[in-house]
Amino acid sequence: MTDAEIIALINISLTEEFELKMEDLKPEALLFDDLELDSLDIVDMVVVLESAFQFKIREEESIRQIRTLGDIHNFVINKKNALLN
Amino acid sequence: MTAEKNTPNRPTGGCLLTTVMNLTVIPLILMWTVLGIMLFPLIFVPWKIITRWNADRIMRQFVWLYGRGWVGIMAPFVRFRRNGFKTEKIKPPCILVVNHSSFFDTYCMALLPFSDVTFAIRAWPFKMFWYRPFMRLARYLNVESMEWTQISNTAATIISKGGALLFFPEGHRSRNGKLQRFYSGAFKLAIETGAKIVPLCLTGTDELLPPGRWWLKPARVNLQALAPVDPRAYRGPDAHRTMRRAVKNLMAQSLALQRHPNGTGHPGEPPAESRSDSIRPVNRPYPVS
Repeated sequence: MTDAEIIALINISLTEEFELKMEDLKPEALLFDDLELDSLDIVDMVVVLESAFQFKIREEESIRQIRTLGDIHNFVINKKNALLN
Repeated sequence: MTAEKNTPNRPTGGCLLTTVMNLTVIPLILMWTVLGIMLFPLIFVPWKIITRWNADRIMRQFVWLYGRGWVGIMAPFVRFRRNGFKTEKIKPPCILVVNHSSFFDTYCMALLPFSDVTFAIRAWPFKMFWYRPFMRLARYLNVESMEWTQISNTAATIISKGGALLFFPEGHRSRNGKLQRFYSGAFKLAIETGAKIVPLCLTGTDELLPPGRWWLKPARVNLQALAPVDPRAYRGPDAHRTMRRAVKNLMAQSLALQRHPNGTGHPGEPPAESRSDSIRPVNRPYPVS
């Protein structure tokens, strides 16, 4: 799976789960301020990503550093790469 | 401020009626709340001895009765209606989902024909110190603070005992009258437990007390039950999302019909077959799909 495919899958998963518009999904979009997600959504987001990519991330410390959609993209890409190596 | 006739979700009275309402209803609600807080400990012990119910069930029944008192206090200024519960054979166990547009939406759940209802709510209502001990005793679900597995297990227990769960799937009060994004929790629980989702459409409370206003206005409040949605019709990893979308569409259609029944773009009286002057259930009032 290429980085572009990973990003596309993340964006599709998030639009379906959180009723977001695809045009709002810019890498610099802040999850809380721009996409209007909140603490309830973060739990669902973890479940969505785990389901989409078949790995566990809920115990990861670095997930707490995520602020933007781009952070999610990078987090998942790095996680996939780490699993491949 | 003037009276607007033939608009059910608009104030039915003018400035004088609104003033009288606020001068009477607000003190009465405060007194009713204080009375409830003081009376509950005195009532609780004999209630438990007589009924042998669990404390949480007694508390939920008491909350429902408190809500009925609120309905009584409001009744001179607010016309309450309840539709669809009889025709759709609504009864627990089930998961109720309600649109949210006013602080008083929770109070309107006293219009439900059954009382053993466990509310699933966010963390902030638990900060109201005068309600907090009662909400904890009633074992309401704090969906922001509890772990999902804890919520899931508690919900399964409630459903298995024949109880009802109630969610406001929007999570916040709508500020523009439109349905907001739905959270998935209620629908995940429906898939997990097999309990049917009962969509409830509440109108008029946004006229009574919308977000951002601190005074009450006379209104006509209608609680409309739609046909239960069976989670067994939804399968696969996207089941809860598909169900969520379907339920939201049903509610959006019903709310649009209630607010604009003539397709005129203006609020009007509900269809003749749905008219009811009380909270008694009436025949199927609105198409649901």
